[in-house]
Amino acid sequence: MEEALQALKVEASSDLAAIAGANDLEPFRIKYFGRKSPFALLMRQLGDAPKEDRPRLGQLANELKNDLQLLFDDKKASLAHGAGEASDIDLTLPGRMQPQGKLHPVTQIMEEICEIFEGLGFTVAEGPDIETDFYNFEALNIPAHHPARDMHDTFYVDDSILLRTHTSPMQARVMETKEPPLRVIAPGKVYRCDSDITHTPMFHQVEGFLVDSNVSFADLKGVLSVFIAKMFDESTPIRFRPSFFPFTEPSAEVDIGCVMCNSKGCRVCKQTGWLEILGAGMIDPEVFKKVDYDPEVYSGFAFGLGVERIAMLKYGINDIRLYYENDLRFLRQF
Amino acid sequence: MKFTVDWLKQYIDFSYDPQELADRLTMAGLEVDAVCEIFTELKDVKVAEILEAHPHPDADRLQVCDVQVGEEKKRIVCGAPNARPGIFVPVALPGVVLAGGFKIKKSKIRGQASEGMLCSAKELGLADDADGILELAGVSESGQSVVEALGLNETLIEVDLTPNRPDCASVIGTAREIAAMSGNPLKLPVGKDSLPKLNGSPSFKISVEDDSLCPRYVARRMTGLTVAPSPWWLQKRLISVGQRPINNVVDATNFVMLEFGQPLHAFDFKKLAKAEVVVRTARPGEKLTTLDGQERDLEPGMLMVCDADKPVAVAGVMGGGNSEVDDNTTEILLESACFNAVSVRKTSRNLKLSTDASYRFERGVDPQLAPVAMERLVQILTDIAGATVEEGGVDLAGGVPSPVEYTLRVSQTNRLLGTDFSAARISGYLSSIEMAVRQIDGDTLGVTPPSFRIDIEREADLIEEVTRLFGYNEIGTSLPVVPMSFANRDVGRALKKEVAAVLMANSCYEAINYSFVSPEHADFLGFGAEDERRQAVKILNPLTEDQSVMRRSLLPALLENVRRNINHQNGDARLFEVGKVFVPTDGGGQPHEETRLGVVLSGRRHGQAPALYFDQDATDFSDVKGVALSLLKELRLGQVEFAPDDQGNPYVDSSQALLLVADGVTIGQLGCFAKQCLKNFAIKQDVYFIDIHFDALTALDPAPKKFTPLPKYPSVQRDIAILVPESVATGEMVSAMWDQRQKLVECVELFDVYRGKNIAEGFKSVAISVTYRSHDKTLQEKAVAKVHQRIVDMVLSRFDGILREV
Repeated sequence: MEEALQALKVEASSDLAAIAGANDLEPFRIKYFGRKSPFALLMRQLGDAPKEDRPRLGQLANELKNDLQLLFDDKKASLAHGAGEASDIDLTLPGRMQPQGKLHPVTQIMEEICEIFEGLGFTVAEGPDIETDFYNFEALNIPAHHPARDMHDTFYVDDSILLRTHTSPMQARVMETKEPPLRVIAPGKVYRCDSDITHTPMFHQVEGFLVDSNVSFADLKGVLSVFIAKMFDESTPIRFRPSFFPFTEPSAEVDIGCVMCNSKGCRVCKQTGWLEILGAGMIDPEVFKKVDYDPEVYSGFAFGLGVERIAMLKYGINDIRLYYENDLRFLRQF
Repeated sequence: MKFTVDWLKQYIDFSYDPQELADRLTMAGLEVDAVCEIFTELKDVKVAEILEAHPHPDADRLQVCDVQVGEEKKRIVCGAPNARPGIFVPVALPGVVLAGGFKIKKSKIRGQASEGMLCSAKELGLADDADGILELAGVSESGQSVVEALGLNETLIEVDLTPNRPDCASVIGTAREIAAMSGNPLKLPVGKDSLPKLNGSPSFKISVEDDSLCPRYVARRMTGLTVAPSPWWLQKRLISVGQRPINNVVDATNFVMLEFGQPLHAFDFKKLAKAEVVVRTARPGEKLTTLDGQERDLEPGMLMVCDADKPVAVAGVMGGGNSEVDDNTTEILLESACFNAVSVRKTSRNLKLSTDASYRFERGVDPQLAPVAMERLVQILTDIAGATVEEGGVDLAGGVPSPVEYTLRVSQTNRLLGTDFSAARISGYLSSIEMAVRQIDGDTLGVTPPSFRIDIEREADLIEEVTRLFGYNEIGTSLPVVPMSFANRDVGRALKKEVAAVLMANSCYEAINYSFVSPEHADFLGFGAEDERRQAVKILNPLTEDQSVMRRSLLPALLENVRRNINHQNGDARLFEVGKVFVPTDGGGQPHEETRLGVVLSGRRHGQAPALYFDQDATDFSDVKGVALSLLKELRLGQVEFAPDDQGNPYVDSSQALLLVADGVTIGQLGCFAKQCLKNFAIKQDVYFIDIHFDALTALDPAPKKFTPLPKYPSVQRDIAILVPESVATGEMVSAMWDQRQKLVECVELFDVYRGKNIAEGFKSVAISVTYRSHDKTLQEKAVAKVHQRIVDMVLSRFDGILREV
């Protein structure tokens, strides 16, 4: 009887393996699981076996039947899914993607800038877009009738109210209310009445400043070098050169090696191999005096950078007017 | 500030090539904007020698010229009366393109073939007049480029001068910087030591009313002068930097201004009443027609140069027509003066008149320069105009400040720069730029800047000079040591990031629009004439009318974005913006700035997803409500509820709108734009929006995150379908079931609203699934049935419903 069971197992397995299509499943089921199946027959013969063998043989028969049932189910399932034959699933079909939106490239770059400085312990502060003449100019050592006002094509709301031309007013606004040490960055929109292929009348700046006792020009260079290495590349060449801002002294422009041509000289860098990336300097003693800081006690540096310009350099955008058209063909690229 | 390398070399020797020169100037703080060859567009224009000139057989005023151009002979028809054999002139042969895109071709002129064009100075862009063809004096070889023949093959350098360096607004000022960096001596055409004494008793009278407005006034008279075109060397200098030669007197004043940085003026002496000059402020009602032909109304306070009777020049800005040097002028009064910077700037602004002179005076002119520049001008005019200078002259220098010594601390310098300079080293740097330095004590230097460095007036200015001379790049780098402190996060900024994340997950792209918009937007939104929302902050000097008022709402610009995208075949637009709007305050002052969140949805719901899997249905109200819900859910702002829209906004379709209300306060709105509004924005498809007062959102407290134990026992679900009249608000049925507060109810969910077959007209079938669960036992059928029946009975009675079999 035991041998018969084993033989049945071998036979059934080979029959199952031979099944190639769903049509052969039913005859197999009837043959092995039907009322007249060899199992049923053997089970009926179980009564003839010696009494002491009956439980063992019964268990064996059941195990065999269960095993076969599992194999059969697998076969059935695999035939249903076409395994073993050419697959019915076309893997080249597109994925069922749920589309996501994106942040505006200016926001992306602005966040990247802020995160670098936040990593250095700077706090983010924001101020009004519509400023007073005092904060935008006077507090920054740009009195009325100073030629430096020519550097700012200003939109006016009235004689003393204007659209801020830079984010630098935040220097005075923060210093007025807090004592050093200060580490602040102030991102935001700024406005200049100037519009052509390289200027939009609104753009974004990030102002930064650090004030404490004994802050030096070397510190300014150190912090900005870290920023440029993180924002661009550790190997990006940097140079500092003299410039003029009424609210810093000494004042510097910071250039990086042209990212378009690898400093070889191209149209973007006007063949110089350098790109102006930000303005900076040691905060002018006059600015400190306006907020009642003693310049003999405190020193500090400030810097300002244009977000759109950095986005242009990083992403290779060649027309700044695209920034504010909000054309999806543009927004999807970043 | 522009100059050519050749001109610069007149005053300083150096061996840098133009690019290196530009680099060095930039690193010295004189940022070079451009280095370029000039007149490259003329390089194909050649020199021709006229061999013969015959009268044109069929035209009285034309000549047919045979010319030699290098090896070639050409025949060219020319209309210039001065065309004659033996002269050398510029020729543009066929194929050459002249300024303005004018391309020379072979042609026939009145039947005669012409192989090119003999050119005038005007045609070459070298002058404004075209009195015949340009005769190239001193040229004796044809075929070469006219640029070389004229000596115009030069390199131009343009410096973008910062306001603190007016001393470099001249070729000599720039040369002085190169002298400092190269150590080579400056070669000045006139030295301070060779100036004549200007006392004597001149034939004219000068007076200055207020020497704070005119610290210095130097005047001399020249006679026996002939006004004529300038010699080529002088014209060439002016042309090479983009100026137009006019006549010898004007050209000489312009040349010396560019050379030294001292603005100069020449009056026709005979036109000055009583041979007198008074520098005074304008009197009420005075007028002056300036050299540009404009009559100017003068305001009291404007500084004028006047004769005995009337203003003859706007001091430091522009001369007057009434004293202009003309072709018949034989005597001139030369002015070399220093005017107050702020006064000139105010006048120039008021008159909206900016000139090379006002540019320099506004920034500051060295008061010691006036007599030097005068001497140079006299020399040149003696030389080129046959003029004789009257001995003596006037030099009123009452307002010239005495030199000031500033103290500079070595310790402060090193503290600010992070350096370790010795006093001697600092002293060496400053001496190299003509500063007088003496040691006061171990740490202190006394520094007297030269008169031309009017920008140096503090210790900080001196430290900057030391930095510049040492080299910004030579200073080391370090990181500041600052006490550690926690950088507080701005709540609004953090929330903006969260909001952006939710909206991006809803397929919305972030937009950034200009803060200034068109005042027409108020019309487009349909605001009535008296609507408060028409009040916007106006810009006094907008670039265009379209950008003339500060926005009161984010929605109009977002609608314009949608239109733009539709026009570019991207009608499936989902955009959001978080930005400020500006609300005017009573009584002026800074307006109130309010941050808002705007979202617009238009086009197909799944427009950006693969069309293979997603339906192509248009966005509808449920989409925009869904976006709002996901915002509230993700931000954990359960206290914000939807409420019926009672605002009556003209731009909103009132049948498809809801308000967002938090604790009884409306903080936003969502819905569909009204058809008329969309029409006003030229949009032909539905656009849905969310408009939220972002600052109010920031002020709300999000629900704390709190853990609930996971259920141990299975839930039981019961579905019901109820037939209710169309007028029943489905959402209220669901809320009502929730509000029963039956403790076993875990979830009530609407899963179908059906109308049509088997449903009577005016009714709908609402299918709702209720999930029951107990937290301490497996629910028995009997317990569920009891609660379920109670809920069903309530709904049926409250909403006039009929239970359908399911």
